[in-house]
Amino acid sequence: MEKKLNHYNRISALFFLGVGIFFSFYGRTVEIGDWSEPGPGFMPFWSGIVLAVMAVFLLLGSFKRREWQAMPPFFPLADSWKRVVMAFLAMVAYLLLFKIIGFTLMTFVFIAFLLKTIFPQNWKRTLITACATAILARLLFINFLETQLPLGFFGF
Amino acid sequence: MDLLTHIGLGAQVLFTPTNLFFCFIGVLMGTLVGVLPGLGPTAAIALLLPSTFHIPPVTAIIMLAGIYYGAMYGGSTTSILVNIPGEAAAVITCLDGYQMALKGRAGPALGIAAFGSFIAGTISILGLMLVAPPLAKFALAFGPPEYFALMLLGMMVLIYLAAGSMLKALMMGVFGLLISTIGMDSISGTQRLTFGILEFSDGVGLIPAIMGLFGVAEVIVNLEEGITRSVVTTKVRDLLPNLQDWRNSILPILRGSVLGFFIGILPGPAPVISAFSSYAIEKKLSKYPERFGTGVIEGVAGPEAANNAATGGAFIPLFTLGIPCNSVIAVLLGAFMIYGIQPGPMMITKYPDLFWGTVISMYLGNAMLLVLNLPLIGLWVQVLKVPYPILFPIILLFCLVGVFSLNYSSMEVAMMIGFGIFGYLARKFQYEMAPLVLALVLGPMMENNLRLSLVISQGDPMIFLTHPISASLMAVTFVLLVSPFIPWIGRRRKKLQERVGGENV
Repeated sequence: MEKKLNHYNRISALFFLGVGIFFSFYGRTVEIGDWSEPGPGFMPFWSGIVLAVMAVFLLLGSFKRREWQAMPPFFPLADSWKRVVMAFLAMVAYLLLFKIIGFTLMTFVFIAFLLKTIFPQNWKRTLITACATAILARLLFINFLETQLPLGFFGF
Repeated sequence: MDLLTHIGLGAQVLFTPTNLFFCFIGVLMGTLVGVLPGLGPTAAIALLLPSTFHIPPVTAIIMLAGIYYGAMYGGSTTSILVNIPGEAAAVITCLDGYQMALKGRAGPALGIAAFGSFIAGTISILGLMLVAPPLAKFALAFGPPEYFALMLLGMMVLIYLAAGSMLKALMMGVFGLLISTIGMDSISGTQRLTFGILEFSDGVGLIPAIMGLFGVAEVIVNLEEGITRSVVTTKVRDLLPNLQDWRNSILPILRGSVLGFFIGILPGPAPVISAFSSYAIEKKLSKYPERFGTGVIEGVAGPEAANNAATGGAFIPLFTLGIPCNSVIAVLLGAFMIYGIQPGPMMITKYPDLFWGTVISMYLGNAMLLVLNLPLIGLWVQVLKVPYPILFPIILLFCLVGVFSLNYSSMEVAMMIGFGIFGYLARKFQYEMAPLVLALVLGPMMENNLRLSLVISQGDPMIFLTHPISASLMAVTFVLLVSPFIPWIGRRRKKLQERVGGENV
């Protein structure tokens, strides 16, 4: 079904309403203080209320007819979602594994994975690019910039 | 005389082999970033920030500033040769620049963009040298209410210029303020929403947030369809504009420089606004306005000069008030703080070497760009030919490593990925990133100044209206806030939005 702007607005308004309410309740737990001596909860409390009120306005506005303009599809192509998910998964995997496997090797795997899965390249191009990037990144970050990156159990 | 002494001091700071080298690296990296679509100067400065930790602050700031104005230069190259602006500010250059390239006049277009940028850079640096010190003295009269009102106005201008719904932009601004409250409260020392995580005590890092919102989210959006581009393949020759080109361009360059400088001082996406305004002015003043958009050199010279002059102007609020007026300057403010320097009215007197060294480096950097850009055009064309499927994994790798190397913290990398997901979804739901980022930067300062003002006035919020400076600033903020309900201002906003295209600060 074609989604319209008001659908999007309704979802996001509910999200921000939740965020606003959460922060204002949280503000109360860390002492709001009063106007002459505002405490640490003053800003979260009042900003939370302001956000919640604005979210309510957005929610109410989403029921007006002029907000019913058609939106482009959430994913422009049939396989767009796969690329988006793959890219985020690759970044999470890099974060979880690069301390164990080591910067250079993990960089090689990360680049090769993205090259092969997002816009699939042939094996020759994938391996050459991944290898060159891993070596150059190692030279740049570890040898030249002296960044303390994990070397993993292989020691590189 | 005083000015000459200061220029001498700046030159003394700059003319050391190390500083000259890093100035060169800065403008080179900036041009590269400007040439590559999908990686802006904000992300590039954030990315290179950790690598500057083991060099002196002056050297680091010289390099980081070089990236900013280098990117403005580089952005024009892609606009002219590929019809894709490497930088938001170079959008308008596409109109006539690309048409000139199609007619085989890519050389003069690139040449006048480089010369125009150099002249504008020179004028804006002169302006910076003349305006910043007296403004800093004036800013000494600012107290907490004035600072709070000024920051509120800065945010409001950005929200006013939002491309879409102003309500949504306001919501993003308030959301940013809420996120900025995470961490240790600087007045009472209370931990807020840290959940016992050590990294949260210092608040949500600006760099992971910017890298996620601008770097990662931008790449992911591009991945959905993939960027295809065709570079004008005819050989770029005759880079030096001829006498007629100069005759047509010199006045647009001078007008663009002055306009860009003054717009640069204002909060908001100054390089973008100034480029669009310059184009509009040149079209209005031209004897042949109907030819604009078909490849006239004035349409390249004016906007290119204006957007470069605006970068010089944008440093003024930072150096004099300690307030960033766009996201690039916000990252620079973060950099100053990491080096233990608080920009503000006292900065010029407390750190004259840093201020004058940076200003003079900007002048030399502009000269370097001129020398660099013209002979290296061929190289930049080659860079443009690197296919995006090869480029994007490298950009993502740089984001991951750049954020990790800030504090060697996996939590900050996780934060960046989180902000990347949020930024991607927010774009889909038509929310803008700029108010969120500015609120993240200004949030802690705004909160402290608001609370201090209320303490000073013993809880009377009228303090913001009884002080003349803050009252004036509050009045402008209020007018901007209610503007959508005033028909004639609302219409002007719509026009301005269409020109600026929102978003890109």
